[in-house]
Amino acid sequence: MIEISPDIAFIEKLQGATGSQLTTCMQCGACTASCSLSEDQDVFPRKQMIMAAWGMRDRLMADPHVWTCHQCGDCSVSCPRGVKPGEILAALRQEQIVHYSKPAFLARWMQKPAFFPAAILFPAAIIILILSLAGTFSIPEGPVDYSEFFSHAWLNGSFTALFVLSTIGAVIGLRRFTRNVFTQRTVQKTNPDKPDQGQSPQAPQPALRGILTVLGRIMSHRDFNSCDEQKSRSVTHFLVFWGFILLLFVTFFAILSTIFFEYPLSILNPIKIAGNLGAMMLLAGSSFMILNRLRKRDQSNYADWFFLLSFWLLTFSGMLVEGARFHEWSFAYHLYFFHLVMVWIIILYYPYTKFAHFLYRTVAMIITRSGRQAG
Amino acid sequence: MDKKSVLIIGGGISGITAAVEAAEAGCKVYLIEKRPYLGGQVARMNEYFPKLCPPYCGLEINFKRIRNSSRIEVITSAEVENLSGTAGDFTIELRLEPEYVNSSCTVCGDCSAVCPVEAKDSFNFGMSMHKAIDLPHELSYPNRFYLDDLVCQKESCKKCEEACNYDAINLEAAPGKRKIKVGSVLFCTGWEPYDPTNLKEYSWGESPDILNNVMMERVGAPNGPTSGKILKPSDGEPARKIAFVQCAGSRDENHLPYCSAVCCSASLKQAIYFTEQDPENRADIFYIDLRVSGRNEDFLKRVEENQQIRLIKGKASEVSLLEGSPVIEAEDILSGRKIREQYDMVVLATGVVPCIPGLKGIELDPDGFIAKDALENGLSAGGCCFEPKDVASSVRESTGLVINALQ
Amino acid sequence: MKESKNTGVYICSGCNIGDAIDTDKLQSIAIEYPSVKQCQVHPVLCSPEAYLKLNDEINEQQLDSLIIAGCSPRHAPDSLKFSEVHSESVNLREGVAWVMEAGHEDTQAAAEDYLRMGIARTAASGLPEPYIPDAPESDILVLGGGITGIHSALEGARAGYSVVLVEKEDKLGGRLNNMHDIIPASGSKQTNLKFFLEEKLEELDASTLITVHKNTSLESIEGEPGKFLAKLKNGKGASECKVGSVILANGWKPYDPAKLTNLGYTDHKNIITQVELETMQKEDRILRPSDGNVPSTIVFIQCAGSRDKDHLPYCSNVCCLTSLKQVSYIRQKYPESRIFIIYKDIRTPGKNEHIYREVQKDNHVFFTKGRVDRIEKLENDSLRMIVEDNLLGETISIRADLVVAATGMEPNQSDDLHLLYRKGEGLPDRKYGFPDSHFICFPYETQRTGIYAAGAVRTPQGIQACMEDAGGAVVKAIQCIESTKRGEAVHPRSGDKSYPDLYMQRCTDCKRCTEECPFGSYDETEKGTPLPNPARCRRCGICMGSCPERIINFDNYSIHAISSMIKSIPIPDEFEEKPRVLAFVCENDAYPAFDLAALHRHRISPWLRIIPVRCIGSINKIWLSDALSAGYDGILQIGCKPGEDYQCHFITGSELMKTRSENIQETLQTMMLEPERIETVFLEIDEYHRIPEIIDDYMETIEDIGPNPFKDM
Repeated sequence: MIEISPDIAFIEKLQGATGSQLTTCMQCGACTASCSLSEDQDVFPRKQMIMAAWGMRDRLMADPHVWTCHQCGDCSVSCPRGVKPGEILAALRQEQIVHYSKPAFLARWMQKPAFFPAAILFPAAIIILILSLAGTFSIPEGPVDYSEFFSHAWLNGSFTALFVLSTIGAVIGLRRFTRNVFTQRTVQKTNPDKPDQGQSPQAPQPALRGILTVLGRIMSHRDFNSCDEQKSRSVTHFLVFWGFILLLFVTFFAILSTIFFEYPLSILNPIKIAGNLGAMMLLAGSSFMILNRLRKRDQSNYADWFFLLSFWLLTFSGMLVEGARFHEWSFAYHLYFFHLVMVWIIILYYPYTKFAHFLYRTVAMIITRSGRQAG
Repeated sequence: MDKKSVLIIGGGISGITAAVEAAEAGCKVYLIEKRPYLGGQVARMNEYFPKLCPPYCGLEINFKRIRNSSRIEVITSAEVENLSGTAGDFTIELRLEPEYVNSSCTVCGDCSAVCPVEAKDSFNFGMSMHKAIDLPHELSYPNRFYLDDLVCQKESCKKCEEACNYDAINLEAAPGKRKIKVGSVLFCTGWEPYDPTNLKEYSWGESPDILNNVMMERVGAPNGPTSGKILKPSDGEPARKIAFVQCAGSRDENHLPYCSAVCCSASLKQAIYFTEQDPENRADIFYIDLRVSGRNEDFLKRVEENQQIRLIKGKASEVSLLEGSPVIEAEDILSGRKIREQYDMVVLATGVVPCIPGLKGIELDPDGFIAKDALENGLSAGGCCFEPKDVASSVRESTGLVINALQ
Repeated sequence: MKESKNTGVYICSGCNIGDAIDTDKLQSIAIEYPSVKQCQVHPVLCSPEAYLKLNDEINEQQLDSLIIAGCSPRHAPDSLKFSEVHSESVNLREGVAWVMEAGHEDTQAAAEDYLRMGIARTAASGLPEPYIPDAPESDILVLGGGITGIHSALEGARAGYSVVLVEKEDKLGGRLNNMHDIIPASGSKQTNLKFFLEEKLEELDASTLITVHKNTSLESIEGEPGKFLAKLKNGKGASECKVGSVILANGWKPYDPAKLTNLGYTDHKNIITQVELETMQKEDRILRPSDGNVPSTIVFIQCAGSRDKDHLPYCSNVCCLTSLKQVSYIRQKYPESRIFIIYKDIRTPGKNEHIYREVQKDNHVFFTKGRVDRIEKLENDSLRMIVEDNLLGETISIRADLVVAATGMEPNQSDDLHLLYRKGEGLPDRKYGFPDSHFICFPYETQRTGIYAAGAVRTPQGIQACMEDAGGAVVKAIQCIESTKRGEAVHPRSGDKSYPDLYMQRCTDCKRCTEECPFGSYDETEKGTPLPNPARCRRCGICMGSCPERIINFDNYSIHAISSMIKSIPIPDEFEEKPRVLAFVCENDAYPAFDLAALHRHRISPWLRIIPVRCIGSINKIWLSDALSAGYDGILQIGCKPGEDYQCHFITGSELMKTRSENIQETLQTMMLEPERIETVFLEIDEYHRIPEIIDDYMETIEDIGPNPFKDM
């Protein structure tokens, strides 16, 4: 049994974030019916909608189903009351990221335009600090060589440290998330006819098979493809996803190269080619995403734009930096500095922006899958 | 002009009721109907809820009252072209369709027997064929044959004119006009089902086995295209499993934002008469809220107790086709499960859309109904003109409106 | 009654009648009857020329009665209506030519028989002389001064009729007096009750045609439409008024919440009803009964009593909207309040859906379908509601400072009319206390002629509908007054001028007529002698059917007339192997069904002879024994569906036939006849395709049991 005590501020927050009159939901279930990801036993988003309309914040914060949604918009199209369940779920995902993030202030920075200057200046200042410490915070003479500006050793060292720190933040957030999900699960009855008091309070162990299936689904974009309304979203995400993975590998090789081989690589080096290909995929994909938002096909808000634009700027500036090196542009180092700030923003904030979805969603998909197998 | 004279526009159940009640209370009544027969939507219905009784029963007695009354003039195949004047002194200009078949018709059927043209019978929503000259339906009032202007070959054929022994057919008939002066006007212009072609998500038009609820009434009717046996229109085999999709258009901001008030009871009724045809028949009703009124609750109880009918709380968001058969996916909200089932037939409970003539003195509200407060003095409106209503409410209301004609 | 002595018989040979039947032969049969002065065959009897000819002949030959032998009386055109002479139809088209083999001797026999029956009936009938009470009254009595009563009075007065409005309280307005605001009518924003009521009361005061009796009780009503005598009593004494018709608008009462033991209304101070909440709203503050504090969380429980087989089995129609209205008020008044609504189904039909959605927009209002499993008492008299079967799919609990039970509406007793009728003080209720008799097609009809129910006593409904109801009831009341003045029946035999005439000398005071009349037309003396009130009569003839002494008859529908029809035809002897089956067919639904079957040219056995009756309840036992003595092999009684979903226009006619059948079977036993000789069939109007099968099956039954042994006796 659960005591209902609506968190009205939470309802207002969701309304504010989505512009949806979510309380006018009449619980018809059309959203669930139209959702191709909602499975026979594990239905959403109709239940999430009543929990949202009743301000059941705790319950929703512990709900992994908000991550199962890939925001294709089928539910919002079929909704007879126009309450946009898809966007409510998106807002809930954002809420969850904020909710579980440590340190919390970083997550808050990502949510409001007021924190924008801080969010930009913080990494810029640290980079300047590092460069000042290294003593290279000035435009080097001669042909463009970025390592003159930011030596490989300092770069690798500081960025790896940053990545490790962020990842610790991400792991803490994820841990809080999973723990909360499992606690709620044991409290909650899944079936009103059969109160599962007898069930063990321990989390069901996700089988390896389940994890592999989920990873397979993510890599193939199967869930994306099952959406009816906006098929193109699957393609754009696919491009961004694989472009990013490609670049991750390239970056890894680049770091190795700076230590063991020669760097920068020749333009004809397969790794370099792969890097440029990845960058193009990423740029194309994210450009389409921006375009879709501009055309109002996809709903968006500040946090979403912050993440998407920083991603796009990262890619675009990276390509410019490369061009600047080949063409000896005079402002190459300015570009490079800008690019480095973008890299920092992405790495520093990844557990706090929409970027964290790859972690939360993967974990949530594994949990819901295992939950289903256990049930 | 008689001060207590009233012109009623629309010869459906509301208009008919208002006409007989007004006439018996002493009014002179003109009853105008655009179709060639009275009865409107109910003439096509199989049964009324909740008694599951035939609408012909009530129509027959009302027609009898019309026949016995000297104070009612019924004018069919006529539309109001213009309305002018003020309370107590209205002038109505009517446009009369050509009277190809006049009142000398004895319904002997000789014309139909020789007619070479077959066309889809609009009375049965095209689910059966009839002759270009035919009786609109058995109980049609006026009881005479009707010539379908659109398909008749007229002068090039003339077989019916030659076959008629009673000078009842005139293929050269021309449209006419008529002016009537009355003290008050009552609109009972009725409704039509929401256009299902807007319901793309329900695969309308992609399978003959996906019908709307008014078509289902014809399918179930003893005088319908299948003599009342509920058969799949695609192959004529008996339907064994039917799904009823409630709120197909109603309560939906993408379609009709209001509730159509009658569709729940209508589907309950159809599910009952369908399951009564065979103990093997199964019906599923997908609903948001079950809205039956007052004593019709008994009727809902009867359905709840019927083992052949499942009431599923959950709107069907989509009807798709799998190997030609309709498939419905929905959330069964009360059990928290998603279900996906295949059916022999799907009946879309399409809602009520008012038919309002564009005439002086009529303003519409945002839902397309007549704005009640804006009606001019001397004009009143009943039936589905203000909001969707079932037969009982329409009859109740239109009787009440007759008081305006008496004042 | 104007007797029929000079009858003109006109036979139509059009529409295949002439092809199927030898009409000259019919003519020669007709003119053999002494009452028949004239008989002619016309090729198209419904033509304008034929009409002129007929009209001339009526005048020239001084005809007092006509027999039109042609199509079904349902099809006969206006040109064959002659109001000054008695006229009968002989249905040669739908009854013979269209349903039997053309030119066959059996077809001819059927046509001849029908003609003979028509002539026999005409000779025994005449043009009815109407019954008009002396100096009929035109005033309308309205019982109940709530919104329905007020509106009825206003509508009646606007139509020029005097109205007497009787209210037992000292103030008009009824339940509106305890209400804060009203649910806006569809498409209207008007919710201001004060303005709404005052406006009406001003018009009421200004009207010279309306007499208001406040603080007055209605002691009794006696008489009949056009001649009702109502006795009133108030503090000052008794008074009387004479009225033409009566409107019952005594309203409703909230379902007794004490009966809702599952909610524990009596155990918890902070559970109130919608009505109690409305009264609080009227004082413009909502406080908890236990401590007078403003409640911060309020839970509405919908269907508290309604839609519940243990309480009110029906839906009270207005509670969902009322709760939404009340929620809007509370939310406006107390912006911090939180409200839960627990419903079975939210019922806001039509444009009321907009009201639902508007309230939903408020994020302090929480809706769920659900069932309140139990209510627990907390500290401070607050309550915890445990709700099952809800939208969340798990048991939930809600803490409430105040609980509002949406108790349903119960109709007040129609016994408040205090009718001095043999059959009781009120209007008979068919179900759950609602006094209407045909709630789908004819919602204002009751089983007491000239007395119409309107408003919440008729069916649970809101203010808007009550006002529309008032209009409808006034229309019916005026209609009844005007029809009574013309000596005509009201629905369903509107315009019928015949009425039952009792030959009292032979009455044995058996009380069957008074007992069986569905409309309570008959009163009784102390001895039990029936006192007819013809203006209350609906002319169904059920009393005629019930009378063992056969003393009840109509001018144009009598025991004798039907008996003569039965006896008028030659019955073939048993060696001819041509059985004869007589069918009494209800003319409301079954007879039209025969016509529809004919329209489809369904074949019907030529051995069947049909006599239309006003209701199968009007079939007198003597007709059955007459028929069996005359040698008919079997009798079918075909009428409308009885039972809860009855289709009988006279409500109990077919039901009575079911119970009378037992009696009839006894008669058959005494005559040493098989029970199958008389069968009752219930037929719906759209079941015409079944008719040939029904008849053929019965013919087979008759063949199996063999010919009537009374043949040729």
